[in-house]
Amino acid sequence: MKYVIVGNSAAAVGCINGIRKVDKEGEITVITYEKEGCYSKPMIADILVDLPEEKLIYKDKKFFEQKNVRVLLGTKVIKIDPEKREVVLDTGIAENYDKLLISTGAKPFVPPIKGSEKEGVFTFTELSKAKAAKEYITKNGVKDVVVIGSGFIGLEVAYFLRKKGINVYVIELLNKVLGKALDNRGSEIVEKIMRDIGINFFFEDTIEEILGNEKVESVKLKSGKIINAEMVIVAIGVRPNTELAQTAEIKVNRGIDTNLFMETSIPDIYAAGDCVENIDITDNTKKNLPLFPLAFEQGLVAGLNMAGKKMKYLGGLPLNSLKFLEEVPVLNAGIVEPPDSTYEVLVNDRFEKRGYYRKAIIKDNRLVGFVAIGEVDRVGILTGIIRQKLDVSTFKEKLIDIDFGLVHLPKNWREARIQQDKTGYNDWRPEE
Amino acid sequence: MEQKQQNKKRRNLYKVYPIEENCISCRYCEVACTMVHSESKDPIKAYKLEDLLPRPTVEVEGPVSISVMCRHCKHPFCLDACISGAIWQDKNGAVHLDEDVCVGCWSCVLVCPFGAVHPHLNKRHSLKCDLCEGRDFPACVEACPNRALVYDRER
Repeated sequence: MKYVIVGNSAAAVGCINGIRKVDKEGEITVITYEKEGCYSKPMIADILVDLPEEKLIYKDKKFFEQKNVRVLLGTKVIKIDPEKREVVLDTGIAENYDKLLISTGAKPFVPPIKGSEKEGVFTFTELSKAKAAKEYITKNGVKDVVVIGSGFIGLEVAYFLRKKGINVYVIELLNKVLGKALDNRGSEIVEKIMRDIGINFFFEDTIEEILGNEKVESVKLKSGKIINAEMVIVAIGVRPNTELAQTAEIKVNRGIDTNLFMETSIPDIYAAGDCVENIDITDNTKKNLPLFPLAFEQGLVAGLNMAGKKMKYLGGLPLNSLKFLEEVPVLNAGIVEPPDSTYEVLVNDRFEKRGYYRKAIIKDNRLVGFVAIGEVDRVGILTGIIRQKLDVSTFKEKLIDIDFGLVHLPKNWREARIQQDKTGYNDWRPEE
Repeated sequence: MEQKQQNKKRRNLYKVYPIEENCISCRYCEVACTMVHSESKDPIKAYKLEDLLPRPTVEVEGPVSISVMCRHCKHPFCLDACISGAIWQDKNGAVHLDEDVCVGCWSCVLVCPFGAVHPHLNKRHSLKCDLCEGRDFPACVEACPNRALVYDRER
């Protein structure tokens, strides 16, 4: 059996693990246009605060050797030919496959902005671009940076730049940071922490034009304000990278469409990670959820199926950790702000006095989401309860306590998982 | 044949099982764990000077108490979520967390359904039960005065 994996990040590693659980012999080839090897995408902004590059490595050469995987770095796959069962590389060579995984990830969304072709405009989704941005800062002695967008990448970049003593101006179209990824109170807390270290925010505003000759010199906002800055970072969001899939006329919606086995509309071609559209278990709709753990899970399930072990992927739970904020950990999962009055909301806000905040969202006696700030030890238990759809009616007021634990759950739940080791699955999460 | 398949599914993995009926919430397991993972190997110094955290957690609610530690899951959520590659599974299935590789993103903390991976905020890495690697026998089990912890092959 010959497996080809396009892309070399979380989904690819998950896929390798999945294949090797079943098939120890088959030939696996990973092809990626990036040159840096298997680094951790969520960690690239850390290079701004001089994280050593070896720390960025997610899986080193040893991993690929042990798993007996051939890796082609700096090689772009330009076309898939499902008839001939081969992928065409930019070197002109074709690689044939029996099973193919597309894990081409996502690409940054850059809206048409006047002047965005000027030197000094960067995105932050690839290591090479992040490095280029860092180099630009050093080379040009950049002192002021405008960040467009206050999502995870935008805030992270803003935070790290500020830590390096650079003046940062964050422009956000909405009236809060992190948009729908965090609840209003959570956003308020994050914004306050970031303002306290000297980051400037401009809400309900957007960029109209990037000014300057060849290089960025200033930025004009829609409100008319002009901010002097030598650099602009566009971090509005990412879109699934489906270009390669489209060369084979694979069905694409808001991302590559897959069935429960992670197989695309063309047999023997699978897809996983930020490039796919998958089920969000909080509302059972299909959407693009570009999150690291989900990419890994999907890759693993794809790998198992590619190697012949049938396993369904039952959907992913959106979850986030604001990993850069040293002062205060911010974790959340599922629905963070109730969409209507049929949801019950429990809040334990002691942030001002005790430094923590917890919030639980409940619908029909099931926990559907939470936010935990400050004290985050053992919040995974809450994530578990969301996945298992446990009836929380008898202990729901405990959910927002910081000492909430397994001891508050039904005894038979504990017995099954702890005494009888029910920690495996027939189908891939969520379990019933 | 069926017996054979059953055996095949059972992993050759020894781990710590808490028995809540026997637990008297004395927290000796927590102290023992902290001590053996310290430099000084002294409980007072370990707690006062070394800024360490215990890997088992004794949870108490009224008359019920239980010491919870890593279950070394067959399908570990923490491993899927780890962005730095610090978490890995050995050939027996034990789940390891390499504290030097960990960057403290708390993804594992966010997903562990047992709450058994703990964030060390000051040191910016997570920590979890390592089955007392390098020691003959888990310290928590040894320290438990009421046989509320047993070291046993996975069921």
